[in-house]
Amino acid sequence: MHTLVVNIRLFWQGTLLSYIALFHWLRPVTYTASKILMPLAQMMFFVLLGTYATSASNINFYVIGNAVQITAVSGIFGVTMSIGNDRSMGTLPYLFGTPANRFALFFGRAFMHVIDGALGVVIAFMWGVLLFNLDLSNTDLSALGLTILVTTFSTCALGLLMGCLSLITANVMFINNTVYFLLLIFSGANVALDKFPLWMQTISNLLPLTRGIAASRLLVAGSSLESISPLLWQELLIGVVYGIIGYFMFAAFETVAKRRGTLETV
Amino acid sequence: MNILNLFRYWRTVLTVGQITLTNLMNDGFILFAVFFQPMIIALLALFMLKDKGADYGLFVVVGSGLTGLWSSLLFISGNSINDERWNGTLESLVAVPIPFEVIVFGKNLAHVAQSILSMLVAYVLAALFFGYSLTLSQPFLFVISLALTVFAFVSFGLLIAPIFVMYRSVQQWQNAMEFPVYILAGFLFPILLLPDWTTPLSYILPPYWAAVALHGTSTTTLPLNGILFAWAMMILLSVIDLVVASRLFTYMLYKVRVDATLEME
Repeated sequence: MHTLVVNIRLFWQGTLLSYIALFHWLRPVTYTASKILMPLAQMMFFVLLGTYATSASNINFYVIGNAVQITAVSGIFGVTMSIGNDRSMGTLPYLFGTPANRFALFFGRAFMHVIDGALGVVIAFMWGVLLFNLDLSNTDLSALGLTILVTTFSTCALGLLMGCLSLITANVMFINNTVYFLLLIFSGANVALDKFPLWMQTISNLLPLTRGIAASRLLVAGSSLESISPLLWQELLIGVVYGIIGYFMFAAFETVAKRRGTLETV
Repeated sequence: MNILNLFRYWRTVLTVGQITLTNLMNDGFILFAVFFQPMIIALLALFMLKDKGADYGLFVVVGSGLTGLWSSLLFISGNSINDERWNGTLESLVAVPIPFEVIVFGKNLAHVAQSILSMLVAYVLAALFFGYSLTLSQPFLFVISLALTVFAFVSFGLLIAPIFVMYRSVQQWQNAMEFPVYILAGFLFPILLLPDWTTPLSYILPPYWAAVALHGTSTTTLPLNGILFAWAMMILLSVIDLVVASRLFTYMLYKVRVDATLEME
């Protein structure tokens, strides 16, 4: 029982402190710029580009796709930096020196970003309603909320995996930016998947977000939770797989780094 | 900024540019901003605009290249003085007998010159991946537009860098400044799609006039007087940027040399 309480405390302290530290000790301006205005500007850019490329009648396709894709700001940038910053700020050796439960330590880095990422998508949908007249009158909002939560979870799981890579490379900004922008293409947020060649569609189907975006579009069009549930289960499964791979990589990199003494030298 | 200093210290400008380029090639984030991000945006835009016809291939190449130029200017040139501060070399640089703005000009020149490569990357991508046959309609005018674009971007960078050093509250918005300029400058779609009240904002941005000139000379969509006007606006805005930057540098150097408060902010 005592161990469980200690691990829960570790999980909570880790999640809270790494999140606060990420936003330069949670200054509202930094948060607003990174989490509200940047996503809004990005969404506007791709919605305008999309409607210019096709027609204004397709606006919902781009608004929904980019609103859900916003979750990658937290899922990819937030999570990778929460892990990567431990290394770049020099706190990782101390963390690895403690007997703390690695499972709580690792997944604790993502927890806050799941909540924050889901909130970011809700804000993006609000922008969609206010600025682009997105009509949610036929939408099962609770199902949409669940879809957002599941999609954010799976994206954060990919972020955890990418965060592990930041333990063996100094170029964490290169990794998270590249993955973030690749998701803009492969998730189908801006281009219908059937327009891609087969090899790109295969990659899309292996990534988080793809099914979450498709499910959100169906829900806004009036579909029920039951009809989109296969997509949600698949999205959840993808998240679990990425999370497990990430956890084992985290453990493996710790062992290798300790043995070789390369934790701070790569 | 005294423009004559650029001629007087041309060797410094070139040496700083050379060293900066060498350093840039080892920075993963810079490789991303200059090569990968424009390439991904180009790929995305090429898929999205595919149904608009082959003419849009060149439009996307130029537009996505401009996104690389702006991102590089914002994140790399914008931090060109901050980098020295973080590395502890700012005090040494302001103490040398060469005007500090000449050194920053050399750094920004390297950043912008390297970013031109992003246009080349997009060109290769459009030609190889999508099979577009891309031919510049007015190559001579395009080259002049490109040279003026480099000058306008470097001058704009000289304005941004001291602002980011002295006004940390402005720099905190850096992440949010990238896409608005993509939109307002009309890199990949015309600003006619935007509300009328945003047009004056576009007009005061050098990247907007760069986009007008480069899009206009890569295709035949803009008459010669339109191109000349875009060039004139780039020169005018560059001069204004340099004059304002000069004042900002004077103030910043005062804070470094006399007041000695820059490091404490």
